[in-house]
Amino acid sequence: MRLSRALSPPSAVRRFRAPGDQRAWVGWGLAALIAVLVLPPIWFLGAGSLHLTTAKFGQGAFTLQYYARIFNDPRLFESVVNSCLFAVGSSAIALVSGAVLAWIVERTNAPFKTLAWLTTVISLGTPYVLYVTSWLLLLGRAGPVNDLWRQATGNSGVLLNIYSVWGMTVVEGCLWSPFAFLLLSSTFRVGNPEFEEAARISGGSVWDTIRRVTFPLALPSLAALAMLVFIRAIEAFEVPALVGLPGRVNVMTTDIFLDLTNRMPPDFGHASAFSAILLVIVAILLFFYSRLSRHAERFHTITGKGYRQRPFDLGRGRWIAGGVLILNFVVILVLPILMLIWTSLMPFFQTIKPSAFRLLTLKNYAAVFGTDHYLDLVQNTLFAAAAAATLVMAVTVLAGWLTVRRYRGAWVLDQIATMPLIYPGIVLGVAIMQIFLAVPLPIYGTIWIIVIAFLIGYMPYGMRYTYVGMLQIHRELEEAAGVAGATPLEGFRRIVVPLLAPAVLSGWLFIFLLGARVLSVPILLAGPDSQMVAVAMYELWTNGQGTELAAFGLVWTALMTVIATAFYVIGRRSGAGAFGR
Amino acid sequence: MTTRTFRNRLLASLTAGALVAAAGPACAIDQAMIAAAKKEGEVVWYTTLIVNQLVRPMVDAFEKKYGVKVRYTRANSTVTTTKVLSEAKAGRIVGDVHDGTDGIETLKHAGVVEHWMPDNWKDYPPEYRDADGYWIATHVYFYSPGVNTQMVAAKDRPKTYEDLLNPKWKGKMAWAATSTSSGAQGFIGNILISMGQEKGMDYLRKLAAQKIINASGSARQVLDNVIAGEYPIALQIFNHHTIISAKQGAPVDWIKMEPLGSTVNTIAVVKGSPHPNAAKLLISYMVSLEGQKVFQKAGYLPANPDVPAAVPALKPKEGHFKANVLTQKMLDTELPKWEKIFNELFR
Repeated sequence: MRLSRALSPPSAVRRFRAPGDQRAWVGWGLAALIAVLVLPPIWFLGAGSLHLTTAKFGQGAFTLQYYARIFNDPRLFESVVNSCLFAVGSSAIALVSGAVLAWIVERTNAPFKTLAWLTTVISLGTPYVLYVTSWLLLLGRAGPVNDLWRQATGNSGVLLNIYSVWGMTVVEGCLWSPFAFLLLSSTFRVGNPEFEEAARISGGSVWDTIRRVTFPLALPSLAALAMLVFIRAIEAFEVPALVGLPGRVNVMTTDIFLDLTNRMPPDFGHASAFSAILLVIVAILLFFYSRLSRHAERFHTITGKGYRQRPFDLGRGRWIAGGVLILNFVVILVLPILMLIWTSLMPFFQTIKPSAFRLLTLKNYAAVFGTDHYLDLVQNTLFAAAAAATLVMAVTVLAGWLTVRRYRGAWVLDQIATMPLIYPGIVLGVAIMQIFLAVPLPIYGTIWIIVIAFLIGYMPYGMRYTYVGMLQIHRELEEAAGVAGATPLEGFRRIVVPLLAPAVLSGWLFIFLLGARVLSVPILLAGPDSQMVAVAMYELWTNGQGTELAAFGLVWTALMTVIATAFYVIGRRSGAGAFGR
Repeated sequence: MTTRTFRNRLLASLTAGALVAAAGPACAIDQAMIAAAKKEGEVVWYTTLIVNQLVRPMVDAFEKKYGVKVRYTRANSTVTTTKVLSEAKAGRIVGDVHDGTDGIETLKHAGVVEHWMPDNWKDYPPEYRDADGYWIATHVYFYSPGVNTQMVAAKDRPKTYEDLLNPKWKGKMAWAATSTSSGAQGFIGNILISMGQEKGMDYLRKLAAQKIINASGSARQVLDNVIAGEYPIALQIFNHHTIISAKQGAPVDWIKMEPLGSTVNTIAVVKGSPHPNAAKLLISYMVSLEGQKVFQKAGYLPANPDVPAAVPALKPKEGHFKANVLTQKMLDTELPKWEKIFNELFR
């Protein structure tokens, strides 16, 4: 920490103020817009948790019973402990693997770097339900791993029981690892390597350099990411439900999952109370986070000085690093995809075993390509995901800039743009549905209600990408523009936006892929004219058409990969232009 | 008022029934309703039925016959019911027709379904229609244990509920941990109805010692995992699903463990919906002989006694088994109690 402070170039101009600051009205306008989007669901949650839900689905008398039920549950302590283990473990796995990969790819001369991108892009494009299911098929009681072990040892039990806390943690960690990689790679890519070079020249080993320079400089990004993944893991439904419930590992959200998808009548009071509790927990986390990032200026790495990246020469170690990339590729991508390919060729759910080879069939693919229903789904989903990603990035580029530049009142922007983190997806879906049924706008039942829900739900992700990107762009560049006569907004447009392009592109891609595969938000919002791929996939999966789902999922994943790859090629090229690489 | 309306309608349909009897059941659908439905032009169906298996063939047949467009969206009972309730509360109703195994009583309490029955309701036995006159059954479900035939030899299969307590099945049986009739709660309910409260609870306590696996998906998924070999036995699955899968070569069968549990799939018109006549026409078509044959062809068990199942042995009379019908009223009042038992003993 001390080293990085010492190395941080002193700011030539302490504080630059433009005459008649345009940023003020931009800032307040933006804050108002974001507030109108993100605040109403809070009111809905709070009111829902404190009033009885009536038969007509309205709000009855004031009550504390929903909170009482949560706090009186004898399993609460166990659930809290499990939740913490699960969240800490999965964020650690995601963070460590993401950081190691990002560092290898962005800062070293290791071979096989393309594999890391391929793994990330394809696994982010793979529908969640499908990905988790393929892990369960691989490591389940009847899966090939346990099967081989039984054959080898003659034992009748299992080597690995995936239906356990560690199983949940590993699967969730694997799900978030590509996200961590994407975010951290943009950090490492735009970071100024001259500190590292200085350390190497002064005789530091690779390890010393990482420990004393790279790591401290990446700390704000790591902390931001750790917080994000931790919160998401605390709120996760899918893995606790699919992996935890059968193993009797209850976490805080297990009941909520059942409340909102499988109880009759649906129990929204309980779900709202739970979300309100999460709100408090997350608010506390955000408080500590904002203290942590208060002195963010220390970490600026893009400055007006010479800026050119030179990768570390790892020597023979580059093959070890390449091996890590291959391992990641095999574990995170190849194994689950192989399992999916196998499933898609089966007439019914079956693990890989010799006796099943005679069953191989292409009928699932015939069903996917022979039904026009799937085309509608694809069109709707691509539109909603792209529209949401574009809107989120447009809003958060501005918000991230204003926030990091710490102009007066900007902390409000950061707080409200990050706030939707407190909404579990399905709860957000319920709130949005109620809100648009209440307001006289013709949005309910159309695809736009899904776009708006995504815009609200994914603003924090956009904010993390632009915020982390902005942290590294030193103020002095804009100050130079100011001295040369540019207004702050011109400085933003001509200096910040191009420098921020890699972060913005990564963010867009991430939100696009998330919107394309997420289930919990659109499950309640998808109407007859706005059917979504993820919802249809969930239906296929719960209704015994898992094999057709695997076929459709692979086709969909291939399409997502093509889109994401095209996007990345364009992005890297334009990024290269901006950085003179 | 309800009773009077019901009696009036009873009289009216008795007369109508007498009139159409000569013309044959195919003409049972009222011409005025058809004309009004065509004028409305479309109907929005919030369904829980499976799109590929049933919704699409049904919609195709209906659209071809009447030229009324069907727009549908599929979700499970909880989600579908939530949508209908929310739309009604906001006074902006989009869905015309609601179906599902659960949820109809919730909707009745909220007063958001219309008091209406299709003209041929009397063709249906009383347990397959609502005594209050709000819904009718499109088809029926029978719940039984399912077994992986490769993992459990025919002679080793459990045949009675007592057999399930055999220690060799410990940790090898699963059910869906959902609070609907096709999950653990339905199984618990069926046991309490069959054995009575005291003996039933005694049995359930012993069953809890068998460490039943709580799966998070639907009954269909539990069966898929049995087929994949994750566990040899599923306790509460839809018996017709085993036939559909076995036809494709899956190593699976159902066990005639008496008495089986049973529920119906209800269908009703949403009150104040934008296309009421088209909604009524769609329901009338689905419960007509022609519509019931679409269910039959898809491998479902038609509710109309005049349309046998494609595999008749799946139904009690033809298959010679006893079944307890878990009525909608019963589910409404008892399900929370069964859920409590589930939480105490099995989680």
